[in-house]
Amino acid sequence: MIEVEKLSKRYKRGGNAEVEALKEATFQIAPGEFVCVRGASGSGKSTLLNLLGCLDQPSSGAYRLDGEEVSRYTDRQLSRIRNNKIGFIFQSFNLLPRTTALENVEIPMVYGNGRVDRERAREALERVGLGERAEHFPTELSGGEQQRVAIARALINKPALVLADEPTGNLDVYAASEVMALLQSLHWEGRTILLVTHDPAVAAYASREILLRDGAVVSDCTLRGNNRAIQGAI
Amino acid sequence: MRATKITSQAVRSTGRNRIRAALMMLGIVVGISSLAILSSIGEATKRETMKRFKNMIGTFDTIIVRPGGGRSRGMPTLVNVPPTLRFEDANAIAAEVSEVKAIAAVQNAFDIDVQYRERNTSPAVFGVSCNWLELRSEDVADGGFFSDEQNTSLARVAVLGADVQNGLFPEEDPLGKTIRIANVPFQVIGTLKSRGAGPAGAALDNIVLIPINTASRRLFNRDYLTMLIAQVRNPDRSVEAMEKVAALLRERHRVRPPALDDFTITNPAATMAQVTRASSTLSKILTGVSLMALLIGGIVIMALMSISVSERRKEIGIRRSVGAGRGDIVQQFLLEAVLVALAGGIAGVLIGVGGMQIVARTQRLSPMLLWQPIVTAILVAFGTGLLFGIYPAWKASRVDPIHALRF
Repeated sequence: MIEVEKLSKRYKRGGNAEVEALKEATFQIAPGEFVCVRGASGSGKSTLLNLLGCLDQPSSGAYRLDGEEVSRYTDRQLSRIRNNKIGFIFQSFNLLPRTTALENVEIPMVYGNGRVDRERAREALERVGLGERAEHFPTELSGGEQQRVAIARALINKPALVLADEPTGNLDVYAASEVMALLQSLHWEGRTILLVTHDPAVAAYASREILLRDGAVVSDCTLRGNNRAIQGAI
Repeated sequence: MRATKITSQAVRSTGRNRIRAALMMLGIVVGISSLAILSSIGEATKRETMKRFKNMIGTFDTIIVRPGGGRSRGMPTLVNVPPTLRFEDANAIAAEVSEVKAIAAVQNAFDIDVQYRERNTSPAVFGVSCNWLELRSEDVADGGFFSDEQNTSLARVAVLGADVQNGLFPEEDPLGKTIRIANVPFQVIGTLKSRGAGPAGAALDNIVLIPINTASRRLFNRDYLTMLIAQVRNPDRSVEAMEKVAALLRERHRVRPPALDDFTITNPAATMAQVTRASSTLSKILTGVSLMALLIGGIVIMALMSISVSERRKEIGIRRSVGAGRGDIVQQFLLEAVLVALAGGIAGVLIGVGGMQIVARTQRLSPMLLWQPIVTAILVAFGTGLLFGIYPAWKASRVDPIHALRF
C-alpha cells in the first residue's frame, strides 16, 4: 500500500540555514493496517503526514502509494491522488463554514470524476450516525459531530488511505471515544489508517506504532493487545 | 462537468457572502449604469441630430453653392448676397459637370408680407426650380407642385409651408385661393408636409415656394441667385463633384487663384459629419468618465477579492486537501469575480435603462432602448470581472494548503 524509501524533507529557513524536518524515513505499510505515528512536537510527524497525504513533495527519496510513484508528481496529479486515494481527518475538523454538513461531505465529489451524488453523501452521513443532521451548519454541531462529518467527507470517495492528524485533539473524552470507535470500525472494514497523535490512549487503538524523533524513525513496532483501548483505557 | 460543479461552488460561495458581493458590485453598478445611460443618450442624440439635419438639408447627396467667398453664417438672402451667382451658372453646371445629376436654382428672401384677405404673415419666400421636392426629399401634403411650363410662363402659383397654411387658412382649404405676396397675387396650388424645427430651431414650415423664374421676374426683380443645390450621382464622389463645380465657376467668373473665390461650396454630409464628430467627442469624454468608474469598480473587486482570499485561506486549504488543483481554485475565484461583476453589470443596465427613461423625458429625446450599448455594457462588466479577478484568483491558487489547514 505505502512504500516509503529514504524519504527526506528539507526546508530553507532564512539565509542559507536548512532544516531537515524528515530524515530518510523508510518503511512500508500493508493494506488494512492501522498505524499510529508518534513523536514529540517538532519530531517530523506533520511533515511525514503532509508527504504521505500528497500535500507536500519530498526533497528526496521515493514514495509509492497504491502502486503509483507519486514523489515527482505535478500539482494536478497530486490533486487527483488526494481526491480519490486519500481521506484527511484534521484536529480542527476543517469544515467549510456556512455550508451544511451534507454539502461539506459532497465537496470531494466536486473535484472527482463522477457527478455530485447527494444520495451517497447522505448515506455517508448516516454511516457516521448523522443522517438527521445533514442540513445543519457546522456551528450548529458539537465538536464530535463535526469530526464525524469530517470523517464522512474523508470517506466519500472511498480512499485507499485515511490520514488522521490528532483527530481527537479538540474533543472531550466521550466524543473522542466515539470518533476512535468509528476509526476502529473503519479499520475492521479493511481500510488503511494512519493516525498521528501523542495521546497514548488514542495510539493504543493502532496495531502498529512508528516513533519519530528529530525527523528520523527511531522505532517501528507492532502493538500487541490492540484492543486494550476498547477494554476501557480511555 | 467538473467546470459546472466548480461553477455551482462559486455561485454558492458568492451567495453565502451577500454583503461582500454587494459591495463588490457597487462600483460596477455605478460604472455600467452610467455607461449604459451615456452611450444610449449619445446614440439617441446622434440619431436626433441626424434626423433634424436630414430635415433641414433634405438629402445627403447634395452640394450647396452660395455666392460670396468666405463662410457667411446664417441663411443667405437676396439682400445680403453679392450678385455673382447667375442662372447661367446653374445651366452650365448641369451641362458640364457629369457628376451632377440635377440642379436647383434658388432665390430667397425672408420676412416677405403675405396676405390672404384680412390675415397676413411674413414667411420666407423661396423661388425654386421644379425639381426642388425631389432634391430635398420633401413632399406635398395636398394639391401639387409647379411644373416646368408654369416656371417658363412665369405663372403666379405658390406652394405653402404648414405654418403659412395654418396662419392664413386656419379653417379653409387653401387650394385655389389667391394670396398676395408683397402685393403680387399668387394662386395656391399645393401645401407642404410639416417638417418641424431645424437643428438651430429655425421654423422650416414658415415658407412659401414659388417658381424661380416667377420669383426673379415678377417678385424680386433680381437676376442673381442666393443658392444652388446640386444633387450628385454618387454621394461617395461628392468631393470630386465639388471640385469640378468650383473649377467651372472659377472659369466662368474669371477667378484666378490666388484670388479668392466669389462663391462658397458646402457639402451637407461633411457638415453633418463634423457636427456628429463634435457630439461624439463629448460622448467619448463621458464614456471615459464611466470607464473610470468601471476601473474603480474593478479595483474594488480586486481588493475585496484579495481580502477574501486571505480570509478564506482555510477554505482553500480544505478544497486543496480533498483534491482541488491550483487550476480549480483559480477557476472558482475567477468565476466568483466574474459572477459578481456580471450581476453588477446587469443591475447597472437595469438602473441605466431606468435613468435613461428619466433623462429622455426631461431632455425630450425619444427614449430608446438600444441593444448594442446594453450588450456592450454587460460584456464590459464581464471583462472587468475577469481582468480584476485574475490577481486574487492567482493569489488564491498560491495559498499553501499545509499552512492554511494548520492555522
